[in-house]
Amino acid sequence: MSIIQAKNIYKVYNETHVPVHALNGVDLEIEKGEFTAIVGPSGSGKTTLLNIIGGLDLPTEGDIFIEGTNLKTLSSRQLIDFRLHNIGFVFQAYNLIPVLTALENTEFILELQGVSKKEREKRAMEILKTVDIADKRDHKPGQLSGGQQQRVAVARALVSQPKYIIADEPTANLDSKSTEELLTLMKKMNEKFQTTFVFATHDQRVMDKARRIITIEDGKAVKDETFER
Amino acid sequence: MLLAIAWRNLWRNGRRTVIGAAAVFMALVLSLLMLSMKYGSLEQMVSAGVNQVGDLQVHSAGYFENKSIDHAFFDNKNVDVTFKKIPEIKRVVPHLETFSLASYGKQTKGIMVSGIDPKLEDIQSGLSKKIIKGHYLEKGDEVLIGDNMAEFLKINVGDSIVLLGQGYRGITAYGIYKVAGIFHLPSLQMNSSLLYMNMQDAQSFVYPYQKGLLTGFSIYLKKTSQLKAVQKQVGKDLGKDYEIIPWQTILSNLLETVATSKAGTQVFVLILYVVAAFGIFSTILMMTMEKRKQYAVMVSIGMNRGRLVWMSILETFMVSIIGVVTSLAVASPILFYMHYHPIPVTGNLAEMYLQYNIEPVMPFSVSPYLFISQTSIILILSFLSALYPVIYVLKFNVLNAFRH
Ligand SMILES: Nc1ncnc2c1ncn2[C@@H]1O[C@H](COP(=O)(O)OP(=O)(O)OP(=O)(O)O)[C@@H](O)[C@H]1O
Ligand SMILES: [Mg+2]
Repeated sequence: MSIIQAKNIYKVYNETHVPVHALNGVDLEIEKGEFTAIVGPSGSGKTTLLNIIGGLDLPTEGDIFIEGTNLKTLSSRQLIDFRLHNIGFVFQAYNLIPVLTALENTEFILELQGVSKKEREKRAMEILKTVDIADKRDHKPGQLSGGQQQRVAVARALVSQPKYIIADEPTANLDSKSTEELLTLMKKMNEKFQTTFVFATHDQRVMDKARRIITIEDGKAVKDETFER
Repeated sequence: MLLAIAWRNLWRNGRRTVIGAAAVFMALVLSLLMLSMKYGSLEQMVSAGVNQVGDLQVHSAGYFENKSIDHAFFDNKNVDVTFKKIPEIKRVVPHLETFSLASYGKQTKGIMVSGIDPKLEDIQSGLSKKIIKGHYLEKGDEVLIGDNMAEFLKINVGDSIVLLGQGYRGITAYGIYKVAGIFHLPSLQMNSSLLYMNMQDAQSFVYPYQKGLLTGFSIYLKKTSQLKAVQKQVGKDLGKDYEIIPWQTILSNLLETVATSKAGTQVFVLILYVVAAFGIFSTILMMTMEKRKQYAVMVSIGMNRGRLVWMSILETFMVSIIGVVTSLAVASPILFYMHYHPIPVTGNLAEMYLQYNIEPVMPFSVSPYLFISQTSIILILSFLSALYPVIYVLKFNVLNAFRH
């Protein structure tokens, strides 16, 4: 069974005033271990789709199933809990908690999950080593470069071993070297842990690494290609 | 970790936190100083009142409501024995008071005759120091009168005053006494209508057939905190023929005045608190606005809003607690110093204080009530300010917060 199953998704913003039809009937299935990019012109609905996949927003019509759970049936509290235990997030603007160190930012999710202090430090350190930023464990986000912050963000998304990770334009604020490193890292994680990655991106370098590219235009999936890489 | 985040969030923009805490600091320090001074002088007034009437008064039942001589009782020594058994009692001063007419020459006036134990009375109220002419009570058949009464009756020291009044059990009380001294007390009423005489003289004036008639005792305690216990004990020991009245009842008018005066100051202090509330609230408002994105990230990655509520409450309270702790740290030493080293009052004011039997100083109160009430007001204000972030955190839309 696929991890993510989107069925005939419509999303209308501003229903009462000037309605914006952001998604117009998207069907989508994503399998475990995929490394998939959602691409398309600006305003085509990539972010909207990703937010729905990530349980941050609900479709106006249609259903989104995560391993058989219909997100529409969850209360807003349950939805937060669902995100905590199943989904990892990497944002465009890194969005680490500014007052916490790299290590604490990584531990934060585990703390929310109620993991013991010792255990979460161990796991957070491990993952920081894997993303190669362990030497900066005690630095706050303000003291890290964009690329380093984004690696901590990936560590934070990975540390709880979520079913999948969504990343909206994760490389948009990075230079090409950092982009290259981050992509290599995510690919490595994808292969090592079989973690599913779904990106929204404009970035050709991301598309070049993706094994599947879904193109949307005007809120519709118009192309779905797979590549052997 | 919530605590750590909340604490560090405060210092991300330390200046703003300091401004919020400073508003609390200013309001609390000023209000403590003002109220401490006000409460101090009111407490001084009350204690002067208590010094006069006693912590407790014992009468035969019904006397407090209807101060008739027919409610007098004979001090049959039982009462004294009861008092001696109670170690918390410092001093017991007996009273005998009755209405009478006083005449000298062609003048007659209604007055109050008060029988006292000259020694005890002097210890308790320093009456001998209030004599402005003649001398204090020394032997029998002497009386002390106020200066206004002397003026009215056109009587002088050494003259004889005639008293005619209602005695106990319907008899007529009658006597002629020599004016030994003329006193001046702070109250016009006392100066124009109070006459002191020896207890024995007063007793035989009111009822010559049996010794020991009294209208009551004033009881002074070693510690005021023992009031309730002693009141209960005395009441139990003496039985229902007697009434035991605490000073709060006797001085209820004074207490009302005190309460009104306190309330008046508190209203003024409220203005300070409006400033404090504004300080806390604007700090909290800005802190919340600035953290919209941080909150959105936290909820996205799976922090439930309940915990976020706690975090924002913590932040609000930390700001005000910083203000409260620093104000207490600054204000308490000052207040305690002023409490033990009060500002002396000089000149005419000092004289007036002395007449009222009040030490001529401006005392500062360090009553725990003062600290507790003012701190609670601040905490209530922070609680109200915390409602804003709490409501925000419960209601905000994660995706909208990201778009800002
Ligand atoms: N909260 C919102 N309220 C109203 N309209 C919205 C909202 N969010 C997105 N839209 C509109 O929905 C459409 C799809 O937006 P979306 O952000 O999903 O596009 P996108 O593909 O991510 O674009 P970009 O590449 O610029 O990030 C756009 O027309 C956008 O203006
Ligand atoms: Mg987008």
